[in-house]
Amino acid sequence: MDLRAGDSWGMLACLCTVLWHLPAVPALNRTGDPGPGPSIQKTYDLTRYLEHQLRSLAGTYLNYLGPPFNEPDFNPPRLSAEALPSATVDFNVWRSLNDHLRLAQNYQAYSHLLCYLRGLDRHAATAELRRSLAHFCTSLQGLLGSIAGVMAALGYPLPPQGAEPSWAPRPPHSDFLQKMDDFWLLKELQTWLWRSAKDFNRLKKKMQPSAAAVTLRLEAAASDL
Amino acid sequence: MLALWTWIVQALFIFLIVDSVGGGLLKPCGHIVPESPVVAPNTTFTAICVLDEECLSEHHLNANQILWKIKDTYVPKEQYTILNKTAASVTLEDVSSLGSPLTCNILLYGQLEQNIYGIQIRVGWAPEKPKNLSCIVNGQSNMKCQWDPGKETHLDTTYVLKSEWPTRQLTDCIPPPNVNNSCTVDMVVVYVNMDVWVVATNVLGNVSSDRINFDPIDIVQLLPPYNVTVSSSKAISSILKVSWTNPVDKPFEGLKYNIRYRTKDASDWTLIPPEDTASTRDSFTVQYLKPFTEYVFSIRCMNREGRGFWSNWSAESSGVTYEAKPSNAPSFWYSIDPSQGHGYRLLHLKWKTLPRSEANGRILHYEVILRGGKTSNFSKSINDTKLILNITNDPYVVSLKAHNIVGSSDPSTLTIPGRDFKAAHPITNLKAFPKDNELWVQWTPPNEPVNKYILEWCVFSDNLPCTPDWQQEGSATKLTYLRGNLMESKCYLITVIPVYDDGPGSPRSVKAYLKQAPPSRGPFVRTKKVGKNEAVLVWEHLPVDDQNGFIRNYTIFYRTSSGNETAVHVNSSHTEYTLSPLTSDTLYMVRMAAYTDEGGKDGPEFTFTTPKFAQGEIEAIVVPVCLAFLLTTLLGVLLCFNKLDLIKKHIWPNVPDPSKSHIAQWSPHTPTRHNLHPKDQMYPEGNFTDTDVSVVEIEANEKKPLPEDLKSLDLFKKEKITTEGHSSGIGGSSCMSSSRPSISSNDESESGQNTSSTVQYSTVVHSGYRHQLPSVQVFSRSESTQPLLDSEERPEDLQIVENGGSGDGASPRQQYFKQNCNQDEISPDLSHFERSKQVSSANEEDFVRLKQQQMSDQRSQSSGSGPMKDFEDVSAADNFGSSTEGQIQRFETIGLEAATEEGMPKSYLPQTVRQGGYVPQ
Repeated sequence: MDLRAGDSWGMLACLCTVLWHLPAVPALNRTGDPGPGPSIQKTYDLTRYLEHQLRSLAGTYLNYLGPPFNEPDFNPPRLSAEALPSATVDFNVWRSLNDHLRLAQNYQAYSHLLCYLRGLDRHAATAELRRSLAHFCTSLQGLLGSIAGVMAALGYPLPPQGAEPSWAPRPPHSDFLQKMDDFWLLKELQTWLWRSAKDFNRLKKKMQPSAAAVTLRLEAAASDL
Repeated sequence: MLALWTWIVQALFIFLIVDSVGGGLLKPCGHIVPESPVVAPNTTFTAICVLDEECLSEHHLNANQILWKIKDTYVPKEQYTILNKTAASVTLEDVSSLGSPLTCNILLYGQLEQNIYGIQIRVGWAPEKPKNLSCIVNGQSNMKCQWDPGKETHLDTTYVLKSEWPTRQLTDCIPPPNVNNSCTVDMVVVYVNMDVWVVATNVLGNVSSDRINFDPIDIVQLLPPYNVTVSSSKAISSILKVSWTNPVDKPFEGLKYNIRYRTKDASDWTLIPPEDTASTRDSFTVQYLKPFTEYVFSIRCMNREGRGFWSNWSAESSGVTYEAKPSNAPSFWYSIDPSQGHGYRLLHLKWKTLPRSEANGRILHYEVILRGGKTSNFSKSINDTKLILNITNDPYVVSLKAHNIVGSSDPSTLTIPGRDFKAAHPITNLKAFPKDNELWVQWTPPNEPVNKYILEWCVFSDNLPCTPDWQQEGSATKLTYLRGNLMESKCYLITVIPVYDDGPGSPRSVKAYLKQAPPSRGPFVRTKKVGKNEAVLVWEHLPVDDQNGFIRNYTIFYRTSSGNETAVHVNSSHTEYTLSPLTSDTLYMVRMAAYTDEGGKDGPEFTFTTPKFAQGEIEAIVVPVCLAFLLTTLLGVLLCFNKLDLIKKHIWPNVPDPSKSHIAQWSPHTPTRHNLHPKDQMYPEGNFTDTDVSVVEIEANEKKPLPEDLKSLDLFKKEKITTEGHSSGIGGSSCMSSSRPSISSNDESESGQNTSSTVQYSTVVHSGYRHQLPSVQVFSRSESTQPLLDSEERPEDLQIVENGGSGDGASPRQQYFKQNCNQDEISPDLSHFERSKQVSSANEEDFVRLKQQQMSDQRSQSSGSGPMKDFEDVSAADNFGSSTEGQIQRFETIGLEAATEEGMPKSYLPQTVRQGGYVPQ
């Protein structure tokens, strides 16, 4: 087959076209594995969203519980809630933990909290509240999955997870004490979510130091916290 | 036999019973495998009929007796397969086209067909792979996913929306009944990536769609903001504040918005710059709005970070900006009604309501201020848009303000000039033309600075009065359109008036149509004058109301009754046209069409006939002919008159009357005369003279008193003697003698005499009584051929000399002579008399002799004839000189001489007075 001038021009045009489209080819465009950054970001965003979600849920639920639980100044002593994973760990102690441990702590705490949270559902009287609770539980489930995903991305093994945390029928409480448990549960959730947000923000910054723009944005978001 | 019948009946009911009761009571004789098949189209289906062993043995049946039927149609035996003694199969190529049911039958005893079993074959498709799966999150947790299920399967097919997180499977979403293309997940969690896919399942198989992976936060579409309200500010009329409530059910806090607005009447929206609304808020103040205008607002929102979709637009909400003071002065104009006497005139002020955009509120009233004249300042508040004032002839200045609740507009000022003001400085190049369904007006401004322009227009019609509409234009305007309800095919008279500081300028007008149409009717054409080869057509211009446009031209169509139609184009300015050439004596039909720019309209047909002859043609022929005839006749007549004598002579030759011959009277001796004049013969010769004389006397008495005559005669006689004038003492003279000269006498008398007058004349002169008598100068040509006497010869010469000396020709003398003879001798002519005296004086004797002859003439004449006749007779007798009468004349003279001595004075008198007669010669 003899090559004529027209053919050579056609080949040149074809080559140019290929070169032009090279940046658009995903395989070439990919700079490699995105790493844990996006999943950390997502986890952080989810944490923030859960905080937001919990605010409205807590408001509704505390109102449902009635006074004095729905009073803003209500600050009862913590009683008989030892089973709840407390977030009131010393700041320095928490800072001294490594990422893996912190993530594992988070994972475990939310697993427990989710278990308890499902117990709240029984008391919820209204369908709307039940639905909000169910959605929050699902979201919390999603957070657990996200944390597991981040740990997997960072190469950390998941904490040993015995039996799926489930609602254990506790000794009968008085109604007030039961409400007190619920109150503390929501309080712990808020604290944990707040702390988790900070953790993931820090982790995110650590993972993506180069992305200045993203960092700035995240710092701004962190300052909101 | 009974048993057989029972079996048949039993067999007939086998299928039904088994079907209905479920085989509880009676057992069927066989069955088909598969029991309830579902077959895809275009596939091969095989069914096997398995016969029951007991039946076979009981009825001695075999599998080769099996017959397959679809509905009532037998399946061809080629498709059968005998598997064994108890089973036979059938293979069907395309069941979908064959239908149901498929029955297995058996032929009992070789002739009786028995139904063993039947099945219903269902035909359907396996589900197609669902395509185009997409999801959207509404609000916080509800996610609706949609997909395209593909082709209808005709079978019960279930669709399940499956989803999973990386770590765990999520609850399946099952669509509600009868929904196969969407499902709503109610517990979706944002910020967690999930896989979603659809699985479709039916009896023919199951299939999964492609998986889609997403974070639900990226597909969120919030509900739009609600409770949108708009409020205005009293302080600032150009702003409106929009407030709303943000959607609650959202998985994030940060929102951004789009706010759009429009005026109520408009359809186009204005979007507030998105960067101004890129943060979470629940109100926004919109600026730079028009006062007193209703605006409509609508809002939508989405994730502030731009993830997800915009919400739908919110419900519209409207608000009105607060009023502001009118931004413009109203259009203001006036007209003057000068009919008011006593130095007053009516001022009609008129103004236009401000458009809403300029009024900026509800106009409460107008304020008119009048300055000038006797009333120094006149102010009036009025709600109407017109005002009539009675003002003097002085100049005025009027200003107008519009007031609303906030304030008043700038004043609109007009100068009303005095009565004696002369407008000037008009605009130029005024043009009006339609464009885009508007009537545009264009002009060139004057050189002087103009405050504003006023455009007035009205329908220009013959029937309706001009009721002008008007509008005001700014000083910079050169082109505008008429803002009013203009009608098509109406003539508008548009007037443009520039307004100066000192008053209005000269108006300029132009006519225009918004849209022309063909005329309502054509012109009525008629003939003004019809000639032989031409016709002058006249018509009148169409009235304006019928024109419907500018008449650009006319077309005249004319034709004969048989000929082709001819069209002539005529300029629209004409009202007359001459058609030519036309054929004479022909019927023409003519009609006329008037054309505007949009078409024409024919007028009624007019018929006329060209005449055979042109006007005046007949006259041109007849008149000359008549004239020629007349002239010929006249000439003939004249010729006749001229040649009367000749004709007369020719027709009636002049035959001399012998009876009248004097000669005959005088010379009775002449026997020849006796024959001619038998009367004369009666007179005897002897007493002829006496008789004659006596006759003369009688006649003289009749005319003149005798004594006078006698005296005059005496005198005359004496004078003649004394003067010794050269009388023509010829023996005979005639008063009336023809002008014909007597050549014969000439020859007879003296040939040596003057040749100029061959005629011998005798002058009869007599003087009147005491010189009062008119001189009668009688010249009588002697026709006598008798030679003149010696004494008479000289006077003849003298007379000729006299004739020459007096310068008069012979004929005037003759004429005079005639006159004298014809008239009484009343007018004295002394000169002639004297001349005659001179002539006759020398020949007194001759004269006397003449008289005697005359007397004898009288005697010979009848009493009725005058003395002149006697003279004539004498002369006539003289003229016979050449003949024998010459002798007679001589005798006569001799006789006369004798008579003269006795009674000459007597005989003379009558001669002078007697009227002359004519004796034909």
